[in-house]
Amino acid sequence: MTTTRLERSARMARIGVDIGGTFTDLVLADGQGSVFHRKVASTPAAPEQAVLEGVAAIVADAGLSPADVAEVVHGTTVGSNTLLQKVGAATGLITTRGFRDVLEIGRLRTPSMFDLQWEKPAPLVARRHRKEVAERIMADGTVLVPLDEAGLIAAAEELVAAGITSLALCFLNSYRNPVHERRAELLLAERFPQVRVTSSISVLPEAKEYERTSTTVVNAYVRPVLEAYLTRLEQGLSDVGVSAPLLVCNSNGALASSLTAREKPVFFISSGRAAGVVGGSRLGEALEIKDLVVFDMGGTTASASLVQNGELSRVSEYEFRAGISTPSRFIKAGGYMMSVPTVDVAEVGSGAGSIAYVDQGGLMRVGPVSAGADPGPACYGIGGTRPTVTDANLLLGYLPATLAGGSRALSVDASRAAIARDLADPFGLSPEDAASGVRDVVNANMARAIRAVTVERGVDPRDFTLVAIGGSGPVHAADIARQLSMPRVLVPASPGVFTAMGMLAGDVERYFIAPFPRRAPDFSAVEAEEAFRALEADARTALAGEDIDPQLMSIAREADMRFRGQEMSLSVPYVADAEGLQAAFRAAYEAIYSYCPSDVPEVVSLRVIGRGTRPGKLDFRAARASDAGETSPIATRRVYFGTDQGFVETPVYDRRRCPAALTGPAIIEGADSTVVVPPGARAEADARANLLITLA
Amino acid sequence: MLDRSRKPIDPITFAVLKSAFESIVDDMAYTVMRTARSPIVRDVLDYSATMCDAKGRILAQAKTVALHLGAVPDAMEALQRHYADDLHPGDVIIFNDPYDGGMHLPDIFMFKPIFDGPRHIGYSVVICHHCDVGGRVPGSNASDSTEIFQEGLRIPPLKLFDKGVRNKTLFDIITKNVRLPDLVIGDLEAQLATCALGEREFLRLTDKYGADMVEGFLAEFLDYGERLARGTFSTWPDGAYSFTDYIDGDGFDEAPIPIHVTITVKGDQIGVDFEGSSPQVKGAINSTLSFVKSATYLAVRCVLDPDVPNNAGLYRCIDVSAPKGTLLNPEFPAPVAARALTGYRVVDTVLGALAAIVPERVVAAGEGGNSVVCLGGYDKQTREPFIVVDMINGALGARAGKDGIDAVTNPSQNMSNMPVEIMEATYPLMIEEYGLREDSCGAGRTRGGLGVVRQYRLMAEEAVMQLRADRYAHAPYGLFGGKPGAPSRNILSVDSDPQLLSSKVTRTVYKGTVIRHEQAGGGGYGDPLARPPEAVLEDVLDGKVSTAYAREGFGVVVEAGSLDLAATTALRQRMAGAGA
Repeated sequence: MTTTRLERSARMARIGVDIGGTFTDLVLADGQGSVFHRKVASTPAAPEQAVLEGVAAIVADAGLSPADVAEVVHGTTVGSNTLLQKVGAATGLITTRGFRDVLEIGRLRTPSMFDLQWEKPAPLVARRHRKEVAERIMADGTVLVPLDEAGLIAAAEELVAAGITSLALCFLNSYRNPVHERRAELLLAERFPQVRVTSSISVLPEAKEYERTSTTVVNAYVRPVLEAYLTRLEQGLSDVGVSAPLLVCNSNGALASSLTAREKPVFFISSGRAAGVVGGSRLGEALEIKDLVVFDMGGTTASASLVQNGELSRVSEYEFRAGISTPSRFIKAGGYMMSVPTVDVAEVGSGAGSIAYVDQGGLMRVGPVSAGADPGPACYGIGGTRPTVTDANLLLGYLPATLAGGSRALSVDASRAAIARDLADPFGLSPEDAASGVRDVVNANMARAIRAVTVERGVDPRDFTLVAIGGSGPVHAADIARQLSMPRVLVPASPGVFTAMGMLAGDVERYFIAPFPRRAPDFSAVEAEEAFRALEADARTALAGEDIDPQLMSIAREADMRFRGQEMSLSVPYVADAEGLQAAFRAAYEAIYSYCPSDVPEVVSLRVIGRGTRPGKLDFRAARASDAGETSPIATRRVYFGTDQGFVETPVYDRRRCPAALTGPAIIEGADSTVVVPPGARAEADARANLLITLA
Repeated sequence: MLDRSRKPIDPITFAVLKSAFESIVDDMAYTVMRTARSPIVRDVLDYSATMCDAKGRILAQAKTVALHLGAVPDAMEALQRHYADDLHPGDVIIFNDPYDGGMHLPDIFMFKPIFDGPRHIGYSVVICHHCDVGGRVPGSNASDSTEIFQEGLRIPPLKLFDKGVRNKTLFDIITKNVRLPDLVIGDLEAQLATCALGEREFLRLTDKYGADMVEGFLAEFLDYGERLARGTFSTWPDGAYSFTDYIDGDGFDEAPIPIHVTITVKGDQIGVDFEGSSPQVKGAINSTLSFVKSATYLAVRCVLDPDVPNNAGLYRCIDVSAPKGTLLNPEFPAPVAARALTGYRVVDTVLGALAAIVPERVVAAGEGGNSVVCLGGYDKQTREPFIVVDMINGALGARAGKDGIDAVTNPSQNMSNMPVEIMEATYPLMIEEYGLREDSCGAGRTRGGLGVVRQYRLMAEEAVMQLRADRYAHAPYGLFGGKPGAPSRNILSVDSDPQLLSSKVTRTVYKGTVIRHEQAGGGGYGDPLARPPEAVLEDVLDGKVSTAYAREGFGVVVEAGSLDLAATTALRQRMAGAGA
């Protein structure tokens, strides 16, 4: 091997792969400025099959050989599906004596009030597989009771005999002194080499026993499954001649080596979901738009995420729940809690397939029940009879009469009949007005997700651009933006595969935190400097371990602060003097809560974010000319734009042959999504085929 | 009864506004959690947030302590009494006096009137349980006080901010009268931040839809609640349905304290009357009628369809009454600090009566409400005060189609728990056990939920301990042949010598004392002998049910981890015969 790593990568291809419920999306950037897309049918039973098929196909599309691939970046749903379907490893848990039920007790709350029929989800480790050992660390880190090593081995032996293949270990107060967990980890690894052991301090060395136990258990539960999957995938890639490294996208939108994903899968549970947000932020950067809300609408859910001043918004814990999440971050109940950094995504159970109905009190409701792909919306004619959002959109003229790609004809009459029967007749409205109501209600629901990541954070959405992705995002984005007084909508060139694209635009990121509890008057910038240097050294070492060239590393410093007695803190960019730091914190606090207490804040911890850029990272600035040619409409049709305007004769364009600028109304149909430009709105396409819609 | 004077609102705008208001109160609830200082608020989540119109009618409520909210109408009456014509932009009103709009002294209500220009259009409302408001016992929550004056600082409706100006006098009085002023003032600041956020978001909404929409929305929202409720009530058979449940004692006297209810269904209206309940008692478990109403609405709401809002539209269909001078409608100056317990029992009693009407929707009795453990004292060296207010939850009773829930909040509250590691790092305490209480579930075709066990060791030199438990002598009831859950127990050990305490205790304890609370489990539902033996086996394998209880409670024989079906059949036949 004579070329350096940098040279080799710069002229070779990178592939992004996003696995969805129906399709596996692939994007290949050839390093020469060309980007290729492909969708293949997902293979849920063995997801790597679709990946391998897609990789082979897209490499051929690009006229390359497998050896030309420099790296494969992957967002996988294996982690979340393992939790959803409860198909993880037979997992055991060993705790301090007196605390084996912490996992099952949880935080006690229920997701809704007045609901006597709620079911608390079963813990991932049954009580019979939770064992206690004698040991006790005090809250100040001193050892009160030494670890009973014989008892530990005996407990583990019982579990292994019961078929346990993965063990979680969580001792009380281990975040203050890990000595017993480390010792236990060592003993168990020696004695039971075939069993995977996850100690709590290896994934989350922080206070709060439930959160730490749950995070550790999720890790242990998912670990053997993700490990097996990644092994199969890497083997398969190597079999087809791709010897490039595999990177996995974590829940925080960053990339990491597959080795890290194998050991700490809890950081990769929403792998992929965050990549669309990363892509949105990078696209924004290229277009010099720094404040964005990335809005992704699919068949059953819609989600929103905030990018402010180019930075992704993140949360420190995340709860996995079967079914539909609410946009509420306030509810800690009934899910599998993971205290891991995660891109802050608010999700609502509203999508193109959501069913609309009138409830007993006469209120129109849309979702969260979805007709999905089967039985599908009424217009599909494959068994679905209840009206969905897609039916409303079809009846109102927003959608073409055939599905994207022309694979299925849609029946407007079926949509009209379903809407008339279930909605229009009960309300005494016309089917069109009822359909328009369905859109209004679903838009209000989806706006809630956007509010959750803006208003709740003290951010005014009126200053933000809405980035519409997902198959249905561009159909609704303009109306939602209007509802929230957002001035602009940005529709990327390929909204339907944008998540896979985002993976190629991601960086490797590692976070390092050190507790630094100081009341502001006791804060010393000199001491802090020392702590930061140590954290930075750790960050650089970790990035080097992820194969990052030192020249491509960057480091950011933050301080986590709060008022005394509060539990949650705010991260503010670090300023190296006590007064400046206080002022920065007060400003951030006031901006969120419109109110700031008068007492003196305290620093809780210092935080370093190490970023590493992958060579060949996708650059949205790299211009790619759209197909020139005929730009006249391919058709016109009547589209309903609300009660004020009614049906308006609207030109329909092919996305590939769309004028550089037009004024709505217009419908722009692409292979993977339809874009709605309402009357009076101005749409401009740039050289990279992104559409920027400015609302009137 | 439907309000005809309202401005009409179309169904679409209604749905959009409903979602918007829900979103605002959600933001508010989250803000309290993020900005509060005391563990009882920020970890246990003993608070509630709501948004009201100018008349104090609830527009939306957050998923917080449900029991608080039914008390908002009476609180609003008190506010109106004091400030009907004297509300201005920038005002913030607080109060806690149970005899002037409040519930018990630790719950401080905060109302911020919201103005659209000169026009008063609504309120942000935040109620927090403060960790101390003075009085004779740390935590201000004792059940053995005999008059309200022992319970702490009484605040009638007063302006904490007057046209935006901070009321220094009031702040100073609070600061001097509570044991932990930093936390109390800090939590008041959290309430202020939350009220401000609610105001800001409410105004954004009126900017867009105009202030008139509030009226239109509210009228429709109440009508919507009323329509749904009446639709259900009209399907209930007319008649009178009674039930009696008990509180163990008031902390002075162990004699059972009955709560008796008669629910009268007539067409689409129901009456809930507590005639026949105990007279007012000496100890602090008397409950204001406002709180009784709140508990009653909540219990009824729990058996309705999920869509029914808990709002004044529902309240229009329910008439609640209790004679003056009784436990449920006490006269000044009766102490009320521990009245939450009475609220829980009102919920249990009303659900017990509803069991005859909607057997498939009720639950057997749960743990009976959170048990409270308060420990307060001073650090020997620094003289710094500490007050632990810990609330232990809970177990849900069995349901018609499924078991109860092991370890869960009482449905009246939606509270959380204080992490052990946070407690140990914050207080001079060690937690020695926090787990499920084996065999505490009432037997039944479906079983009750397991209660929890929590064991504390005091590490400080001395502390005043105040325990409030119940369901000691009157275990959580089972339904339709289901058995009661295990009763609760309080155990105190000095030098490893365990001693059984009564259900409500106030006393001084010393370093090394171990306090153990074993919470009651939920009652069972249906004949225990009809429970599938496999379900019993699963519980035995999980150590939730012992082999002895499997036999005695369910007639199921488990030997060496497997079912003995022949022995089970024989045993069940014998038990059925003995029972007949």
